[in-house]
Amino acid sequence: MIDFLDALLDPLRSGLGRRALGEVALLGALGGGLSFWVTSYRLSYAAESLAHGLLPGAVVAALVGVPVAAGAGAGVLLAALLVAAAARDERIGVEAATAVAVSGLLGLGALLALAPASPQRLEELLFGDPLSVTGADLALAGAAVVAAGAALTALHRPLAAVAFDREGARAAGLQPALVSAALLALVALSLAVAVRGLGNLLALAVLVGPAVAVRGHVRTPAGAVIGGAVVAVVAGLAGVALSFALSVATGASVALALCAAAVAGASLPALRPQRPRARPAAPAG
Amino acid sequence: MSETVVEADGLGAAYGGPPALSGVSFSLKPGQTLCVLGPNGGGKTTLFRVLAGDLEAQTGTARVDGRPAHLPQAERPRLDFPVSAFDVALMGSLAHGRWWLPPRGHERAAARRALKRVGLEASEHDRFGSLSGGQRQRVLLARALVQDARVLLLDEPLAGVDPASAERITALFAELRAEGRAVLVSTHDVDSARGFDRVLCLNRRQVAFGAPAETLGSDVLEATYGAEIVMLDDGRRAVTVQHHAPGEFHPPAAGRAAPGAPPDHR
Amino acid sequence: MRSFCIGKRLSRTILNYAPPLAAAPPSPLELVDLAFTRSALAELVLLAVAGGLLSGWIVLRRLAFFTHAAGTATFPGLVVAEAAGASPRLAALAVAGGYAGAVGHRPRRTGEGGDTTVALLLVVALAAGVVLAGDVFSSGAGVDSLLFGTLIGVEGGDLVVSSVVAALAVAATVLLGPVWAAAGFDPEAAQAAGVPVRRADLCLLALIAATVVAALPAVGALLVTSLLVVPAAAARLLCDRLSPLLAGAVAFALVQGVAGLYLALWLDVPPGPAVAAVGGLVFAAVACVHRPGRAA
Repeated sequence: MIDFLDALLDPLRSGLGRRALGEVALLGALGGGLSFWVTSYRLSYAAESLAHGLLPGAVVAALVGVPVAAGAGAGVLLAALLVAAAARDERIGVEAATAVAVSGLLGLGALLALAPASPQRLEELLFGDPLSVTGADLALAGAAVVAAGAALTALHRPLAAVAFDREGARAAGLQPALVSAALLALVALSLAVAVRGLGNLLALAVLVGPAVAVRGHVRTPAGAVIGGAVVAVVAGLAGVALSFALSVATGASVALALCAAAVAGASLPALRPQRPRARPAAPAG
Repeated sequence: MSETVVEADGLGAAYGGPPALSGVSFSLKPGQTLCVLGPNGGGKTTLFRVLAGDLEAQTGTARVDGRPAHLPQAERPRLDFPVSAFDVALMGSLAHGRWWLPPRGHERAAARRALKRVGLEASEHDRFGSLSGGQRQRVLLARALVQDARVLLLDEPLAGVDPASAERITALFAELRAEGRAVLVSTHDVDSARGFDRVLCLNRRQVAFGAPAETLGSDVLEATYGAEIVMLDDGRRAVTVQHHAPGEFHPPAAGRAAPGAPPDHR
Repeated sequence: MRSFCIGKRLSRTILNYAPPLAAAPPSPLELVDLAFTRSALAELVLLAVAGGLLSGWIVLRRLAFFTHAAGTATFPGLVVAEAAGASPRLAALAVAGGYAGAVGHRPRRTGEGGDTTVALLLVVALAAGVVLAGDVFSSGAGVDSLLFGTLIGVEGGDLVVSSVVAALAVAATVLLGPVWAAAGFDPEAAQAAGVPVRRADLCLLALIAATVVAALPAVGALLVTSLLVVPAAAARLLCDRLSPLLAGAVAFALVQGVAGLYLALWLDVPPGPAVAAVGGLVFAAVACVHRPGRAA
């Protein structure tokens, strides 16, 4: 038991482990903070599709030698454009159009990555590899957190108003389309960063799990954003520690820890009970 | 002649098919209230959406002074969103620009005042979704008040509202009128229209516009509601009834009790 | 200076890829000459029939996400089965069938709550599969082949399964097609008319699950939609009536399957990504050619 607890501290003992912890913490802050808005704006399916579809961009970046985050960002853009193009024809429907774009892109990415000429790095891109994070990756993630933090702070009131009542917000002078676009851009940024730590298949864990974990336990949107970031960071760090102690894949451990936090948060009774519901008055005849 | 704050001229709009609204022309001055009458699907909500800037006019023009406050009809706001009544009222201050800054002291004071005006100061910190239907409607009204707009567009603000809240809201219309704002209210309640400065009858097209006393004749109401309207109490009350054969009796459609009303009374 | 370096790296990468592409493409006859390619070809033809037919229903009944989720969810089951020496097909059938049953007995997932839950479940499935494959069993299960399919190792058993599924797909389309169409168009009216909508829909979900399981060895858990959604999506752009749509979907699926197999042989990659990439190209080509239409 003592050995196990001691093993949990292993990541702190190596540069490799410390960098992994840093990357996961930054990723948690970024994705966890966004996750309340991702769920409020009903972007789970869109985020999952964009995450899957960015693979060719990430693979090309890895092959050419530029930072994977840059390729992932371009990949998200391409995926978004293709989904929008495929969904233009109403006869197919958004679901099927997304499936078409995502399967094509995922296939293309896997094709490029599994060709014998490619260095075999596909699994790292799919499932993340926090252990190979470099100083440059950390700097990039740090910059992304700072930028996203500033953006979320400035956009906080519009994001809440549009999520609460889109038309009412428009009447008050906001432009819901721009607010949604800004949110999607932030999601793209977090996906680009998440590919390193979680991989494109598991990135959704940090964009959705924290919101589920804090739902019902927070009373304001600000609480949900900050709470989501905190939960994501704690769960992420725990995931890294467990992966070292149990010798299992780090990216997958972080994803499972985030999902476990979501399940725990959803199962626990509300930590801060709401005021009792006022009984609705009978409607006028 | 004081300026008008709301003006429409030959206004028409559609949702991508046949026109939902056409030929609407009216104007309002500050401090005037307008009641918009019409059946379901008659174009009341469409008109409000065009005036609020949600929907593009297809034909004609519409002009509103400043940015109007728009109270939506259906329960569009999300009930599971973690905001309190105070937070919602505060959203009205986003209309004053500077959305990237946290709310300032005077904006918070305005939200508190608005909630007091609608009688909800006790429920300030209650979660929006936990309030009753009438209370929610009042909170959204408070949001419209905080917006401090010269023109308010209230789409069926009394639908499904308990009588106490309804009285509160109706009294508020008079207050807003006294403050020099223009208030447009859509409703199904024909009788209440008589308390307004002007009335506008819509049935996918403009049927009539003018002062209620002159405009709300039985022919206008019939053209608006497409059924026989029964005028009772020397024209002070109106009821819609359906056509039926002589000798039969069917209860009035408007839900107001008018037992024994003969079918062919005009 | 920086763009020059990237340019150099890009050209070096392209040079790396050139030899396989510049090498003479294999003769198409190789597809039937070699034993293992013959099996793979037969498998893909059968899957094209089953998948093409079902893709029509999947697109019409808006079941694309269900299909993708069913495929992805089988991944951990496959890993466990392979490590335990059990039949992967049965494990996959248990998972996919269970998921179909759960979906079939609940009302349609309502909005964001349902989306979020399923998305998280898929993440759990993928992460758990990776952990089990890499570390708990150390079985070398070949995560890639489970996720993306494999050319080699198509056995007689797989062909039997695919034949059965293809036959079931044809029979079900003939027998239940009208019910499925009516249920998609106006479920309440159909139910009021005494049509067995619930049971027919359960059959549809079960058949989709079975086809997904049959397709797993060939295209992998992540890319089942390439044969079960894309063909009908492309056909839908061209056909407005049901029978041409289903025929068109099967035709496109055959093209995808055969061309994908050929591409996989030539470039020495797993068949799943090749079939999926070809599918994307086919859809794009059709989309550019047809006249945009409105919902029927």
